[in-house]
Amino acid sequence: MLPKRRNHAPLAALRMLAVMPLLIAVAGHPAFAQQAPADASSVDRDDAFEADEREIWEALQEPTPPRLSVAPRAIASMNPDISVILDAAAAAFSGPPDQLGGHDPRQNGFNLQQLELSIGSAVDPYWRFDGNLVFSQFGVEVEEAYATTTALPANLQVRAGQFLTRFGRLNSTHPHAWEFVDQPLVLGKFFGGEGNRGLGTEVSWLSPLPWYLELVGSASEAHGASTARSFFGGENLGVQSLADLQLTGAVKQFFPFGPDWSLAWGLSGASGPNPTGRSNRSEIYGTDVYLKFRPLRDGDWTTVSFTTEAMARRRQVPGGILTDEGLYSTLFWRFDQRWGVAARHEAVTGSANDPLDPTWTGTRQRSSANVTFWPTEFSRIRLQASSDRRADQPTPVYGVFLAFETVIGAHGAHHF
Amino acid sequence: MSNVRKSFLFWFLFVAIALVPTLAEAKVRVVATLPTLASIVREVGGHHVEVTSLAYPTQDAHFVDARPHLVLQLNKADLLVINGSDLEIGWLPVLVTGARNSRIQPGAAGYLDASTLVTLKEIPHGKLDRSQGDIHPGGNPHYLTDPRNGGKVAVGIAQKLGAIDPANRNDYLKRARALDQKAVALAEQERKRFLAIPQVNRHVVTYHQSWVYFLDWLGLEEIGTIEPKPGIPPDPPHVSRLMTHMRKVHTDAILQEAYYSSRIGKLLAEKTGVPLVVLPGGADFERGETYLSYVETLTRKVYAAIREAK
Repeated sequence: MLPKRRNHAPLAALRMLAVMPLLIAVAGHPAFAQQAPADASSVDRDDAFEADEREIWEALQEPTPPRLSVAPRAIASMNPDISVILDAAAAAFSGPPDQLGGHDPRQNGFNLQQLELSIGSAVDPYWRFDGNLVFSQFGVEVEEAYATTTALPANLQVRAGQFLTRFGRLNSTHPHAWEFVDQPLVLGKFFGGEGNRGLGTEVSWLSPLPWYLELVGSASEAHGASTARSFFGGENLGVQSLADLQLTGAVKQFFPFGPDWSLAWGLSGASGPNPTGRSNRSEIYGTDVYLKFRPLRDGDWTTVSFTTEAMARRRQVPGGILTDEGLYSTLFWRFDQRWGVAARHEAVTGSANDPLDPTWTGTRQRSSANVTFWPTEFSRIRLQASSDRRADQPTPVYGVFLAFETVIGAHGAHHF
Repeated sequence: MSNVRKSFLFWFLFVAIALVPTLAEAKVRVVATLPTLASIVREVGGHHVEVTSLAYPTQDAHFVDARPHLVLQLNKADLLVINGSDLEIGWLPVLVTGARNSRIQPGAAGYLDASTLVTLKEIPHGKLDRSQGDIHPGGNPHYLTDPRNGGKVAVGIAQKLGAIDPANRNDYLKRARALDQKAVALAEQERKRFLAIPQVNRHVVTYHQSWVYFLDWLGLEEIGTIEPKPGIPPDPPHVSRLMTHMRKVHTDAILQEAYYSSRIGKLLAEKTGVPLVVLPGGADFERGETYLSYVETLTRKVYAAIREAK
């Protein structure tokens, strides 16, 4: 009996010896000792959230997330954003009208100012496309059609195609965004009724400075009677060298003063050939200031803004240099969600023997005021009156416009 | 010469020292369109992120000015979080294009449309046009008034942040889960509290159709809106019809965001005796308000008004 027992004891001890290190190893391992209990207690608590996360993760993976609703997703389409803007006006003038803007009301009675078709969409991860086709009663013009880069390094951006140059504040915008029914005289006289635009390329750079400072440079075609009239204008003399293109440069700066006040300031210059003689050039310089007060008080729609844009032009012509200047200043006050008023004064000088405007010898001054009613932000009715004092008219020409505008479709966002 | 060299050395050291902390921290830069979203990002991201909001809580997110300095924030952002469902359509696209930042363009890794993370309500059926007011084809965009949606958005933000900054992924997820859990708990607790009020005392009038998620969550019923149609300012015939309706159907509160004019709300309150509850338009992110404390403010104010009306 005893030997048997004795025999047994060493076996048990051996077994113990064999298991002990294993037990010590497992129990002593930090992972087992600390993590296992924590894991065990948090499993059921986190399960629901992991399911949530999985669902959200899956939703993030798919370009169009799955919908629990069976409702058709009207928004999920490859269609670009398309909008149609109609501007029309009834007008009456006390004398012969001389509106310079291509989309101004230009005659007594009814005027179709423009029917604009805007199309915009991302092209691919590197470009977006924007186009504005303008229909008149007699035809279609490609007002703008350009691509903008979205993924260039070093804060650079390129636009290519046909575009309104970023000279000054108003030139690159459309009548839809204007505070007045008509285009300022100085833009019409210096650039043309359609504003300064053309086929070309633009490079802009956002500086890394702590405030908003953007540099813009573009080269565009220098001809077009209503788009580049200070340059080649109606005479397309072709491009032999870079000197036959219009070169435009601008510095744009913006300063926010708290949440309510904004100040934008721009400096612009454009240079290009004119057709009056070999290597004769025209230069236009401008500065623009836009001060806006929009208090972010609860329930308040008040917006007050002041805009002024001044431009000077210098042209080499046979026998000398022609210089003239022009400016406009506007004060706009929106005092209600639906109502706003605005006032504008303009002055544009003239020079003798100007081949483009032979009768514009003195200073032309125009004062305008209007009241606007917006049923919604997609429609607008505007009543505007103006007094236009021109050198070729003995008395001021008074004008009254009743203009309306409608916007349908997905209209893109506006620049500040 | 030596002076020039000395000053050069000084500037070199100055710049180097100034750069060291920026390099060491390397926070993930997040821009949220709305302050409420920014509050969620701050809670999920903690000290790993630097977050800013483009809009203020006192601002109607439909009508924010595309002020150019906002481009500067977007230019440097690693992640852009938007509310989506066309809420920011009138101002955000020009800023995002102007930002010259490929990381946050729609479709890029640093772009998160938070509306894709929740189930939207009021997705319109059939033909759409603006005779129905300023409707959102993708569904009602005001989903952050239900904390359960805020919780889901937090988890989605954590996933995105985790992909951008994998080193802190677990931390983001942990924080998001904590927020989600608290949001769900708050939702349960408040829902119980509101459902304890008799059904007949849970009727409200709202200014804009922006409270549908809030009302559905708390079992409140909207019996009319001050706006005749979304985005259309109230007109006298509509207001007088609404007033008649409010007198007929027992109404307990008039709800509106602070950024809307309270003129009509006050008039209705005066004529019908129903309390007007002016609610914040978003979390006061700049003053450090958290998402859940914003939601609690909403429920506290509405609950108090309804109890009082009863």
